Amino acid sequence: MAATAAAPMPRAFRVNTGFSLPGELALVVLTILVLIFLVYPTAWIIVASFKTSATMFSATEFEFTLENYVSLFQTGFARNIFNSLYLCIVAVLISTFVSTIAAYTFSRMRFRGKSMIFGSVLLGQCFPWIILVTPLFILFAKMGLLNNHFSMLFVYTAITIPFSVYLLVGYLEGVPRSLDEAAMIDGCSRFQAIWLIIFPIMLPGIVATATYAFMLCWTEYLFALAFLTKTQLKTMPLALYAFFGEDTSEWGRIMAASALTTAPTLLLFLPLQTRLTSGLAAGSVKQ
Amino acid sequence: MSSTAIPTARGIRGERPFIVFMLVPAFFFLIMFYVYPTLFNLEVSFTDLSLFGLRQGGEWIGIANYVELVTSKDFHRVIFNTVFWLTVVGVAVRIVLGLGLALLLDSKVLDKYRLKTISRVLLLVPWATPPIVAIVSWRWLLNPQLGDINKLLIGLGIVEQPIAFLSEAAWVWPALITIITWNTLPLVALTFLAALQSLPSELLEAAEIDGAGRWQRLRYVILPHLKPAIIVMTLMSTFWTFNNFVYVWLTTAGGPGLYTNVMATEVYIKAFIDGRMGYSSAVGVVMATLMVAFGMIYLRFIAQREFKEVF
Repeated sequence: MAATAAAPMPRAFRVNTGFSLPGELALVVLTILVLIFLVYPTAWIIVASFKTSATMFSATEFEFTLENYVSLFQTGFARNIFNSLYLCIVAVLISTFVSTIAAYTFSRMRFRGKSMIFGSVLLGQCFPWIILVTPLFILFAKMGLLNNHFSMLFVYTAITIPFSVYLLVGYLEGVPRSLDEAAMIDGCSRFQAIWLIIFPIMLPGIVATATYAFMLCWTEYLFALAFLTKTQLKTMPLALYAFFGEDTSEWGRIMAASALTTAPTLLLFLPLQTRLTSGLAAGSVKQ
Repeated sequence: MSSTAIPTARGIRGERPFIVFMLVPAFFFLIMFYVYPTLFNLEVSFTDLSLFGLRQGGEWIGIANYVELVTSKDFHRVIFNTVFWLTVVGVAVRIVLGLGLALLLDSKVLDKYRLKTISRVLLLVPWATPPIVAIVSWRWLLNPQLGDINKLLIGLGIVEQPIAFLSEAAWVWPALITIITWNTLPLVALTFLAALQSLPSELLEAAEIDGAGRWQRLRYVILPHLKPAIIVMTLMSTFWTFNNFVYVWLTTAGGPGLYTNVMATEVYIKAFIDGRMGYSSAVGVVMATLMVAFGMIYLRFIAQREFKEVF
């Protein structure tokens, strides 16, 4: 209490930043400019999606309308939203399950060649997807799996496994081994120990991993471009890009579709950012 | 007192079926998706397989695709674009700006003016924006007639005529790198920020007491502490950028002409537009070889110690 009374200035203004006042103000202005640069492109898309075509490209005028969305849905975009949701959710469920049991094995079991096998899983992370497109296209064509959601589920499950295993092993390393051992001494089988003890503790990590995997599939463009050519099978990013024409682009529909594509990633991403960031940072930079 | 349920060294052998059972599903996907197509791609690269004649299959033509590729002037241009513009310039810009941004966000000044939390949340916005949407937005921002950047430049009197950033040779690479940097900067900046926060403040205080100025603290305390993070991020960014297809394809489709064509778009154009699956596969093999060579050299000479710590 005495300290508060002795300091009439608010606490924040006593911080010694090591800069003079003009220096501080310059940094604040710089920060604000950087933040505008970072946010403006995304914010503009969302605002523009609610503007009439007459005011869309004007910086000062704003006329609210839902017409862009109405026009978007008249093109059958609901079907594309469904395709994206269906492919991403099913693929993420499969991939998260498969990755969780693999991650448990890498974290808890000892076996020959483990670090080499784990290293090769991580290689998938840096693998150039583009060189898989040509051979997979030929293989899918031979099996009649082009324009087929089954092949897309396979692709989306496979592209998310390396990252998911990597993140989940990171989370599991934070769960003390003595927990599994205690459960097994108390008479649990290994499966029971996993299901009853480890799984509930890991759940936040699993949710974060699944969210990341979902976003990876949701924004994926290359494989969908190569393997899906029928309009009714296309995912959102593909359908969105089709509104760009050679000469004229349907900006209203483009804006509405872009806003709808961004909404889930933005809404999922911001709440999970601390978890994801700490996981990513802990994984990539061991201190 | 040892019980068979406890995972002792002896218990592990009995658990082999369990280990196999747990790993098989993941490896089914990894082998069918990564390993088998990669080997198949190698085989196709020695044939003249055509997109329009997949049923007939291709003829074995030996290394003809590779000979054509090595002697092609267009392909030299593609390699230069991929290695110099996309990867070297692109990654360097990202690492330097990421460092600067992390130092800015870590500054006590932001704390003082209550900008800390908001700046960290807003930093995530580009990362949460799907690449396709980032490209849409920047294509508009850079548009000569409608875009805000040209309006701003003309309004400030910097230029008189609008610049067609995405079709003028002088501007197209800087414009592309701006788009890629905008979308990928947050991950780099956040990684560096996390590393900065693990720097003990006593170290900086001790340096200050010893008379180190701001630049000396940056040079001798902060940067050495960030070195592992910088090394890992440089490697990962290089892989991601070198292999990336979507930014170049959707922003310029390799144009104007072939001015921004890179290896990833070359693989796609050759396979799906020219229909030459065999040649496209050969480009893919060259691409994978370059990446493996880069990774090995990098690990051998630069990052050996850092990666021993990570794995």
